[in-house]
Amino acid sequence: MISMKSMATQLFCALLLIASVPSAVAGAAAVPLPTPPKSFSARFVETRTLPGFNQPLVSRGQVAFSRVRGVLWEVTAPYHYVFKMGPSGVEEQLPDGSVRRLDAEHAPWLAVVRHIFISALTGDTSDLEHYFDVRITALKVGRRIELSPKPGPMAKAIKHISVIEAGTPQFLRIDETSGGRIDIHFLDAQVTAEAP
Amino acid sequence: MSVRVTALIKPLIWIVALTLLCGIAAMRLDLRAPVDTNLLDLLPATQQSPLLDAATERTQTAFLRDLLLVVSATDYAQAHQGAEAAKIALTAAGLPLADPAQSAQALLGLYRQYHYGFLTAADQQQLHKDPISTFTNDVAGEFANPAGMAGVFGTDPGGYLGRYLMDLPQPYPNFTPDGAFMSAQRDGQSYLLLRASLPEAALGEPGATHAARAVAAVRSAVKAQCPNCKLLATGAALFSAAAQSEARQEVFWLTAASMLFIALLLLLAFRSLQPLILGLLSVGAGVLAGAAAVVICFRSVHILTLVCGTTLLGIAIDYAFLYFAEHWFGEGPAERTLNSVLPGLTMGLITGVIAFAFLLLAGFPALTQIAIFSVVGLILSYATVLLVFPLLLRRRPALRFAHLLQCPQRLLLLACKPSRWRQIVPLTVLLLAIPGWLQLHTSDDVRDLQNFPKPLLNVDQDVHRLLGQIAPLGFFLIAGGNIQQALQREEILFKVTGAEFPDATVLGLSRFVPSEARQQMDLKTWATIYRDPAALKRAFAHIGLPPEYVNTLETDWHNDPHAPLTPHTLLAAEPELRQFVVRADGQLALIATLMAPHTTARGLENAAAQVPGVSFVAPLQRLTGIFRQIRWRATWLVVAGYVLISLLLIWRYGRRNTLRMLYPPLLSLAVTLGVLGWLQVAVNIFVIVGLILVLGVGRDYTVFLREGAGSRSTALGVTLAALTTLCSFGLLAFSAIPALHAFGLATLIGILASYLSAPLSIAPDTRETT
Repeated sequence: MISMKSMATQLFCALLLIASVPSAVAGAAAVPLPTPPKSFSARFVETRTLPGFNQPLVSRGQVAFSRVRGVLWEVTAPYHYVFKMGPSGVEEQLPDGSVRRLDAEHAPWLAVVRHIFISALTGDTSDLEHYFDVRITALKVGRRIELSPKPGPMAKAIKHISVIEAGTPQFLRIDETSGGRIDIHFLDAQVTAEAP
Repeated sequence: MSVRVTALIKPLIWIVALTLLCGIAAMRLDLRAPVDTNLLDLLPATQQSPLLDAATERTQTAFLRDLLLVVSATDYAQAHQGAEAAKIALTAAGLPLADPAQSAQALLGLYRQYHYGFLTAADQQQLHKDPISTFTNDVAGEFANPAGMAGVFGTDPGGYLGRYLMDLPQPYPNFTPDGAFMSAQRDGQSYLLLRASLPEAALGEPGATHAARAVAAVRSAVKAQCPNCKLLATGAALFSAAAQSEARQEVFWLTAASMLFIALLLLLAFRSLQPLILGLLSVGAGVLAGAAAVVICFRSVHILTLVCGTTLLGIAIDYAFLYFAEHWFGEGPAERTLNSVLPGLTMGLITGVIAFAFLLLAGFPALTQIAIFSVVGLILSYATVLLVFPLLLRRRPALRFAHLLQCPQRLLLLACKPSRWRQIVPLTVLLLAIPGWLQLHTSDDVRDLQNFPKPLLNVDQDVHRLLGQIAPLGFFLIAGGNIQQALQREEILFKVTGAEFPDATVLGLSRFVPSEARQQMDLKTWATIYRDPAALKRAFAHIGLPPEYVNTLETDWHNDPHAPLTPHTLLAAEPELRQFVVRADGQLALIATLMAPHTTARGLENAAAQVPGVSFVAPLQRLTGIFRQIRWRATWLVVAGYVLISLLLIWRYGRRNTLRMLYPPLLSLAVTLGVLGWLQVAVNIFVIVGLILVLGVGRDYTVFLREGAGSRSTALGVTLAALTTLCSFGLLAFSAIPALHAFGLATLIGILASYLSAPLSIAPDTRETT
């Protein structure tokens, strides 16, 4: 059964893919590739524009990706929230401090996310192209990657995804079919040393 | 009236009787189901429950129709290509795939529409405890979640519906939806699952053949499109096809071998195939009349009756051989043939009829049918010998009584000589049999009667391991006055099982549509949250969320009809979920299953007993129980029948002679059971049928020898009857199908022992030396 959650997960993995390994995506267009970063960290400012609302919700925080440890997405303002995804599953710490866990063993779709993630890191774009039509435009510094979902459940939720990268992710925009929009600006992004 | 006319009247009576039986049966026959294959119909009416039977049939049909195919490769794209080729091949073979995405979309639409009534138990508990704080916290969490979408806020602000949907049962836990397929990544391999449903019940030959051909076509298509792909296919239909193919091959070779052997034997003895044709006529008439009588009484014949009844009618061939031996080689005039064999034939018939008639008292439709079939069949076979043979076999062929044909009588004479070996040999054999008895064990499990190819079993295990499926032990049947009551009972049951089996996965309609009472509880929780919008705004502002978001949420709540989703609406949107609901005789029940690694039927029965209207059903155990009851009743009734036969024999032959006549068949029975024990062959219903046959045949041999006073024709008749029975039934001992093997082995040992021990029924001082 395709749940809203798994659809969101597809979006999430796409987001992570694009944010973390744009050069791997570029491989599809036969552009000479730099070695994909095995890990990086950045600050972010996320603006969520909800359909029917004038006032968007702005949040700030930091993201860290490690091929070994997984993803850490930490919102620091306006409230504190932590999202961790590792090989064993997902853990969320809500603003009131309560923790929700999702065991990978009981959510096989998490394994799919991890698989796509690793495929992308190793330069395998077949998984991404399974969901999107990929178009790459060279910029003065870096490049713009445009993703249009192929017909299917993904296309029912996402209209378009746009990414700007220059070795590390700079900016990401997701336009949803509902009229909602997510803009994420990555600041001070840097490649970090991979933990042993 | 001339002699010629008198001679014609007898076969005319035979023809009229058979035609009448068949004519009435044809009028009574239920043309929709002339042969009943439903094993549940073997239960007595008092033990049948229409709801239970409907549920059993529903689960059985679903199991039989399911066909699973897994295409795998190291490369996902290749595996996908292979799966696409498989999909096209399946569709071309008339087995379109179930589309998981389409049905999911239909359900998703409904759940979004009724989302206020769908909270997980954990969310409901938290919201009930502290509605506003919990809600605010959850909304904030959803906004911050990198996997969340902005547009979902309007329909599922706290992610509650998302969590409810994630909590829905997954048919294949290790696989996730992937377009028209489901996919999984494991150990560096990409797996794509295709699920097809057979249009016909796969137990039938057309369904099994259809499935086997479709899978063969898929295999070629996948190989052509993706040579590196691997295909695994499993399903009850494939097992059924393999079993049918094996049975067909075995039946062909065994039948051909036995027919050839019998034809050669008869040619050797009589230099004619006339006995073979007339023997078949006698047994054939018996089978036809037996089936007709059952149809007249029950309107259809059960498959088990046909199998067991036809087998038991093998006794009838003895009548024919006794007649042939007397006609060809009798020492009296040819026209006296019938008179010579009549006492033996009649005693054989009466004792046979008594033995089978006792099965009428079983109270089991199966045994009643077998009894009617066998009694009427025996009478018609007897009538064939009595009324038809004298007309067709009038002149005795001028045939020399060959040296070889004298062997049976010589053997008989040798065995009847006064010698202490007449005591030593049977006693030794009996002593050797005793340890065998101690090793005897019974089995009524239908799975032990089948023989499935090892590669097919391995593939089945591989597929289910990949899918992460644990086969349920059975199902819960949840009765209710109406569907809402049944849903509520199911919810209570799942609470009970959740506490007792925490690792279990439960599957039932209430997982997809909670009862109205449960949905109303959720709606009440939401009403509490939106009762004070100002307080909610304050909580939003406090955490850092824009308070005006509450206006939209409140408007949405007020515009919602607050109506629960009804099962009727859900089932209309997703017809596949109808498999959970059974109706029979105006009653309704739900079917639910529980899958967990360490459960026992007893544990599940105990859980069911805690909820009114709920029972746990293990279909395999139920079938096993039916077979066990049939086996027990048949055994005891045959014993009772034997007691009555003994009284009859005492009346005819006196007490001393009767004991002597009963000794060989009972010795044969004891030896057969001993050998079966030594060989570790389980005693099942088919072995019991074999033993009944052995007892009947053994009794016939002693009666024939006694009535024929050990004449050469009687000795030859009994020998030919024994050899042909060994050829026809004993050869089944070489079958690879466990049911046939066990039956054949019991018959082989039993007939051999009956034949060899038959001379013991004649006292040494009364033997004839013709």
